[in-house]
Amino acid sequence: MRVVVIGAGLGGLLSAARLSKAGNSIEVFERLPITGGRFTNLEYRGFQLSSGAFHMLPHGPGGPLAKLLKEIGADVRIVRSEKTTIRMPLEKGDADYRQGFRDIPFNEFQKPLSNRDRLKSAYLIVSTRKYPPEGSTLKEWISSQVKDEWLVKLADSFCGWSLSMRSDEVSVEEVFEIIENLYRFGGPGVPMGGCKGITGALEKVITANGGTIRTKTEVSKILVENGKAAGVVVDGTEHKADLVISNIGHAATAGLCSEILSKEKHAEYFRALEALQPSAGIKICLSAEEPLIGHSGVLLTPYARRINGINEVTQVDPSLAPPGKHLTMSHQHVAPENIGKLEEEIEMGLQDLKEIFPGKKYEVLLIQSYHDSWPVNRASSGTDPGNNTPIPDLYVVGDGAKGEGGIEVEGIALGVARTMEKILG
Amino acid sequence: MKINDNCVGCGQCTSFCRQGAIVVMGKARITDACVECEICAPYCPVKAIEVPI
Ligand SMILES: Cc1cc2nc3c(=O)[nH]c(=O)nc-3n(C[C@H](O)[C@H](O)[C@H](O)COP(=O)(O)OP(=O)(O)OC[C@H]3O[C@@H](n4cnc5c(N)ncnc54)[C@H](O)[C@@H]3O)c2cc1C
Ligand code: SF4
Ligand code: SF4
Repeated sequence: MRVVVIGAGLGGLLSAARLSKAGNSIEVFERLPITGGRFTNLEYRGFQLSSGAFHMLPHGPGGPLAKLLKEIGADVRIVRSEKTTIRMPLEKGDADYRQGFRDIPFNEFQKPLSNRDRLKSAYLIVSTRKYPPEGSTLKEWISSQVKDEWLVKLADSFCGWSLSMRSDEVSVEEVFEIIENLYRFGGPGVPMGGCKGITGALEKVITANGGTIRTKTEVSKILVENGKAAGVVVDGTEHKADLVISNIGHAATAGLCSEILSKEKHAEYFRALEALQPSAGIKICLSAEEPLIGHSGVLLTPYARRINGINEVTQVDPSLAPPGKHLTMSHQHVAPENIGKLEEEIEMGLQDLKEIFPGKKYEVLLIQSYHDSWPVNRASSGTDPGNNTPIPDLYVVGDGAKGEGGIEVEGIALGVARTMEKILG
Repeated sequence: MKINDNCVGCGQCTSFCRQGAIVVMGKARITDACVECEICAPYCPVKAIEVPI
């Protein structure tokens, strides 16, 4: 089978590698001079920063992405993070970290609650596994169970870090699915070599199997013949294929076949596309000589104004920074109404960092923001139309087509795995 | 070089500019250090860097 893949992001590369391994002839077209999309390294002043992700996989070596990489035969090593910690104000009742702080392990998150609420939450932890709640946002659900504001703060910081959303924007079902996946697959991990450790290994599989990846090559149109996808147009030249896989999200994909898709005939599909909400976020990359976090997991910061969490990937792979330096990166969710005020949002993030790391010496390397057509996630899990399109032999993969279950790159991997099953049987 | 409204502030261009001529803070801004080499333009994921004709 001849397969064309549009876009060399993680979803595109995973699909191309899997299909090339199954003996198909693969051509990947990428608009940029680099591959990997929002999942590769950007070298900057000797640091391996990233084009998007925090060099971290939500479920580390036990997750769906790790499993798919193994099936594909990609040579990557993923190291499980030791722990997740939560930074608490020193005294209960303090609104922020200015009077001091202490860190507690994530699994002791009930400790700050009153005895009564602690008992209640212990009961909920057991009962919700059997009967997961549904029908509301996470925030509404928490507030209906426990009066203490602490759990909402923690939920905001957790959702901000892992979904770039607030707890009142996320459905309680989705969060309980994430929690169930944490039981099933384990917590986060860091790939050796960062994001590029993964996307680079996938490229090797593709080329070793005779596939080609062409950078600086933009697809301008998807060819449709007899109602089915039949290839693409690149620089005015037709490239015929039996199957087209798009890694550029549903909306942009629909834009490449606008002659075929009509708002009247495919009204339901277009309605689904209009409902997709990309999430926005800001990453602040820090360089420090002394570790700022001191472990390889996430530090959640529920009492910061804006920063949701921070990681320090050099705790796993020191080669992501020059010798003797650490790379520490903070993430903050940006609410839709604040996208027009990014500078103010960044200022608040920088102020937070001063209070989270008082007296520590660090340097701000680069501040990166993401929204709209280059977002943190094109759609939250469970809200997109999945991998199919109204056109047979045209599939969409990537973070705008994760389908259900699985966040971020784990969701991408699940979507790709499901698509491969449809194609390869 | 001109930065248009597409810019999201992702900083990708900064990492490819050898002159250190792009400052990002929510949006990219090109400084006087720019030598108009045009290297940065194709790296922008949202076509925000316009090359003067
Ligand atoms: C700040 C930030 C932090 C994140 N942190 C994490 C994290 O820690 N862990 C995690 O798991 N996930 C994280 N994510 C999410 C993760 O990075 C993305 O979900 C993932 O990289 C998206 O991959 P994708 O397959 O959708 O492809 P994309 O990365 O969107 O790639 C699509 C590719 O298609 C190309 N393209 C577009 N149009 C065309 C065309 N017409 N022709 C040819 N090529 C085209 C683009 O140039 C691009 O390279 C983060 C994202 C951001 C932005
Ligand atoms: S044109 Fe060259 S010098 Fe100017 S900002 Fe772009 S890469 Fe830097
Ligand atoms: S690469 Fe493009 S979107 Fe990103 S900061 Fe530079 S100009 Fe803006």
